[in-house]
Amino acid sequence: MIQTVDLTQYFDYVFMAMLLSVGIAVVRLRSLFAAVMLTGVYSLLSAVWFVSLDAVDVAFTEAAVGAGISTVLLLGAMLLTSRECNPVPASRHWAALAVVVVAGALLFYALGDMPVYGDPNSPANAYVGMEYMTMTVDDIAIPNVVTAVLSSYRGFDTMGEVFVVFAAGLGVALLLGLGGAAGKRED
Amino acid sequence: MTSIPILDFAVALGLAVAMAIMLARLFLGPTLYDRVLAVNSFGTKTVLFLVVFAVMVNRGDAIDIALLYALLNFIATIAILKFFRYRSLEVALSEIAIRRRDTGDDAQSDRSEPTGGA
Amino acid sequence: MDLMQFIDLALDIVSIAALVSGMVFVLAGSIGVLRLPDFYTRMHAAGVTDTLGAELIMIGLILQAGWSALSLKLALIGVFIFLTSPTASHAVANAAYRAGLKPHLKRFAPGREEEAEPTETRP
Repeated sequence: MIQTVDLTQYFDYVFMAMLLSVGIAVVRLRSLFAAVMLTGVYSLLSAVWFVSLDAVDVAFTEAAVGAGISTVLLLGAMLLTSRECNPVPASRHWAALAVVVVAGALLFYALGDMPVYGDPNSPANAYVGMEYMTMTVDDIAIPNVVTAVLSSYRGFDTMGEVFVVFAAGLGVALLLGLGGAAGKRED
Repeated sequence: MTSIPILDFAVALGLAVAMAIMLARLFLGPTLYDRVLAVNSFGTKTVLFLVVFAVMVNRGDAIDIALLYALLNFIATIAILKFFRYRSLEVALSEIAIRRRDTGDDAQSDRSEPTGGA
Repeated sequence: MDLMQFIDLALDIVSIAALVSGMVFVLAGSIGVLRLPDFYTRMHAAGVTDTLGAELIMIGLILQAGWSALSLKLALIGVFIFLTSPTASHAVANAAYRAGLKPHLKRFAPGREEEAEPTETRP
């Protein structure tokens, strides 16, 4: 089993390289259809990468939301625009690059304060996390601790999140005009 | 009858290579249909990769994602094709039938659609 | 006991053969999608090999996993892929054909649109 754990890290590099190339391709492409498909592929790839990183719950959410819902929303947004994107003036490229570089530099600066990967004394492992791990078996008899935390220990929190997500989805549906768009075809 | 990690790793690596090749076709693909084909095939290979990976590291959870994506991939392919043809996700089948009856053979009326999406 | 060992060995060999051949099919199909000249040839490379390769890999993995819930899920995914992959291939090819995408019929001029003969029209 140790051997397989050692082997899986190579997939991380493979998937990071694929993610990078997909991101560059999304920026470079003119066809909006292709860009929408590539964003679906991007979230699928990140879902696979999360599985490779042993974060199956996150991967499940990413596969459902990223590849499913957001593709549909982007296709709906495409109803309101043309099929090709217009060339952007170069000055806006430089502004965007500056924002990205500054944000990335801040993130790398903050990376120094992160605990070491798998550190037993890190805040995530030290205090209440371990209590959840030990208590879940007795309190709620389900094997997945993340599900137990989300749906039982923090049930009200999750309910509020559901309200927020529902309101956001309603707003997006209103903005895109889903439901009335079928009559607006160009033929 | 246990899993053979080295063999599983080799198969998973081969599938990752196949995914990378599909990505290349997805970037190159001159027409939109090439891209849809590449996305569909890429999804199938991803499902296979997830399954092989899950068996390799002995995690049954990852199989659920593969199951979800095996379904989602098909629906996404059909949805993109339908959207590209009718410019909407909400054209009912009955309306398609009516339009087909009005225009005769719809293969002719669809010729106005551009063949090269990129 | 001897018989059981023999069956185990045979199942191992079948599993390895299925996995390896499935991977070879998938890789060959991928290379075909990259190398072949026009959409319809790429279509046939991807559509045919994906289904067979996927099913072979599924069979190999089911033989590895033995009788368990894992095997049931694997078999379910195998059934889904067996149903959806040819259907999706057909849908893509049909959409391209109805949109009027022409195959390249000249053998040595894959890149030139104007030299390609038009397809026979649908009856």
